[in-house]
Amino acid sequence: MKRTLGYAGRVLLLIVLILSAGRADGEDAPMSDEARKCLDCHAKPGIIKFFQNNESLIAYVDPDKYHASVHGSLSCTICHPEFSSGNHPKRAFKSKAQYQIRSSLVCRKCHSDEQISLNAVHRGLLLEERKGKPVMCTNCHGSHTVTQLSRKGSFTNEEQYCMKCHAHSVNMHFTNKEILPLKVDLRLLSTSVHGKLSCSDCHFGFSSEEHPQRNFRTHRDFILASSENCRRCHFDKYTKTLESIHYTMLSQGRLEAPVCTDCHGSHEIYRVSKVRTESAKRCRRCHAKEYDIYAGSVHGNALINENNQDVPVCVDCHTAHTIEDPLSMDYRERIPEMCSNCHTKKEVVGKYGLSTDVAKTYLSDFHGVSLGLYKMQKGEAGQPHKPIAVCTDCHGTHNIMNTRDAEAAVVKSNLLKRCQKCHADANENFPDAWLSHYEPSLKRAPLVFFAGWIYKIFLPILLIGFVLQILLHIWRYAVNR
Amino acid sequence: MRTTYRRFSTSRIIEHWIQIATFGVLVVTGLSQKFYALDTARWIILHMGGIDHVRLLHRYTGIIFSLAMAVHILIAVVGLVVKKWQPTMVITKNDFRNVVHNIRYYLGNEQYPAPGGKYSYTQKFEYWGILTGGLLMIVTGAVLWTPLFITRFMSGEIIPAAKVLHTNEALVVFLIIAIWHIYNAIFSPEVFPLNTSIFTGLISRERMIHEHILELARIEGTTPEAIRAHRNEPTEHDPSISDDRQESAGGLTGG
Repeated sequence: MKRTLGYAGRVLLLIVLILSAGRADGEDAPMSDEARKCLDCHAKPGIIKFFQNNESLIAYVDPDKYHASVHGSLSCTICHPEFSSGNHPKRAFKSKAQYQIRSSLVCRKCHSDEQISLNAVHRGLLLEERKGKPVMCTNCHGSHTVTQLSRKGSFTNEEQYCMKCHAHSVNMHFTNKEILPLKVDLRLLSTSVHGKLSCSDCHFGFSSEEHPQRNFRTHRDFILASSENCRRCHFDKYTKTLESIHYTMLSQGRLEAPVCTDCHGSHEIYRVSKVRTESAKRCRRCHAKEYDIYAGSVHGNALINENNQDVPVCVDCHTAHTIEDPLSMDYRERIPEMCSNCHTKKEVVGKYGLSTDVAKTYLSDFHGVSLGLYKMQKGEAGQPHKPIAVCTDCHGTHNIMNTRDAEAAVVKSNLLKRCQKCHADANENFPDAWLSHYEPSLKRAPLVFFAGWIYKIFLPILLIGFVLQILLHIWRYAVNR
Repeated sequence: MRTTYRRFSTSRIIEHWIQIATFGVLVVTGLSQKFYALDTARWIILHMGGIDHVRLLHRYTGIIFSLAMAVHILIAVVGLVVKKWQPTMVITKNDFRNVVHNIRYYLGNEQYPAPGGKYSYTQKFEYWGILTGGLLMIVTGAVLWTPLFITRFMSGEIIPAAKVLHTNEALVVFLIIAIWHIYNAIFSPEVFPLNTSIFTGLISRERMIHEHILELARIEGTTPEAIRAHRNEPTEHDPSISDDRQESAGGLTGG
């Protein structure tokens, strides 16, 4: 009886094998008995394999996913030849990587180099392998969930094709051993400003046909190279950045200088101009000191604590792309213009009780006039030996304070120090020579006010007197003739 | 009878030339700073080698102007006190009467213009206008040049006040010269195309009669009435009309 059953069992197994062989995809093929047996244990969560370096690997296999995989109809021992229902050897591996390399070799038993090298990605990997870099098939294809990645024509768009790998933890390895996860979060990508673009719009040279293997020394090298992709569409911004201090730093070999993706991100790019706080925070990543000072200023405080959208953020003065060396003479000369952008507009500063005359009073005084003339004669005549005082020299830059209330006294006491930067011998009377943006009035600067008024009366009288006398004289002469 | 008289000495002529030069430079360099926003002003500043050069030139010319002013005042004081010169430039009550007289003459209520001494009232007012204006310019200019020094002794407000005075007084002095002086010395029909007295030092007797009759009477030891009576004899026409025709002719031939 036992024999009969054994015979019948063998026949059944044969039928099953024939059937499963006839189904190329094996999608609906029943799972092998052997597999079922293995899954008795491996379908239970909590089975963990430890390696000598204390790394671990979850040895759990999801039966459904496994069954749905392209290898769903194979028995476990085909890929795990050391194991069988009666033999479960204990193996020791130094690390997870060592285990994965070893496991990947199993794949190559069926999938010949010739076969896999039909794919561009694989060709690159094989080249790498020859140079000594091991290939781990499971990194891209998974293990028990192996799916066919490049079935041409079965993808509705390029994104789907790319995401077959890049939705998983694919890594890029650099010569200096740095590793960059190439996993792309499709949700972030689809909500970004580039949500409607195809992958190859930015990743020029990559497609379902091509996947060149590129080698970068460092992660930073890769970032720098990748940011070049942006200019294909954003050429105007790109040319602006060529004039920036960041680009100058880059060209001097300071690779930490930011490129497009450092500020804008890559797959999650959104319109930063709508969230001014975020814009400032991006600069903070490198310019933390300046940001902290700014955060304590009258502008930064209003932005951060009151979410005030009237106040300037970094890019309003420094611009977003043409970022100039703020210590340059050119930049300095434009500071009054920058401040004027808001401080001459009643609709912006009026509601805070600020005067819109601040620019006018500065520009008509000695420093403002000099600055304007030096700008005008640039390249054609001499420039000042010392930098001309501009708004920031008295008000500060990132630390601009309120000039009223409690801080007014501080501003006033700072004034003399600021005068002394250029006028070393200035004493405490000297700052009063500047009327602090006030038009002369009886209250403020009565002396100046009176002097002005005398001439406002005297000049017209003088002029009218002259003209009358001349006209009368000519008239008399004409009459006498 | 002499037809021309000496009106200005060589030193006065030189003084006037110095005034033309310094005043000219001060006006060009000063007004181009005052009206810095005008294209013309910018053109001037650029062609003078930039604002630094313009400012320096203005200040150094100011020094020459100040020195000339100091010498002038010194000579006048020494002349009046030591050499007992006639104070011909001092404004008297008579000058104010002459203003009224001349207005009446212009309106046809007087036969002759106000009788002028060595200097007519218009010249006196112009002189004092320029002299006091010039002094104010020198003082305020010096304050603006040395704000650090000045604020050691005075409030800082002095500086913008000095600027207001300097810039406005500049306009006053410029108007006196550009309108009043240039009219009287060039465009006035009596002297057109140019009153050459200050360049040649000479003046015609004809112009003396019309403008400085008191001075002429003093020189010739007679009275204005006698001069006019003597002059009117040959003519048969209305004296005032013929007078003026001769006056203009006199002016044209260089008084």
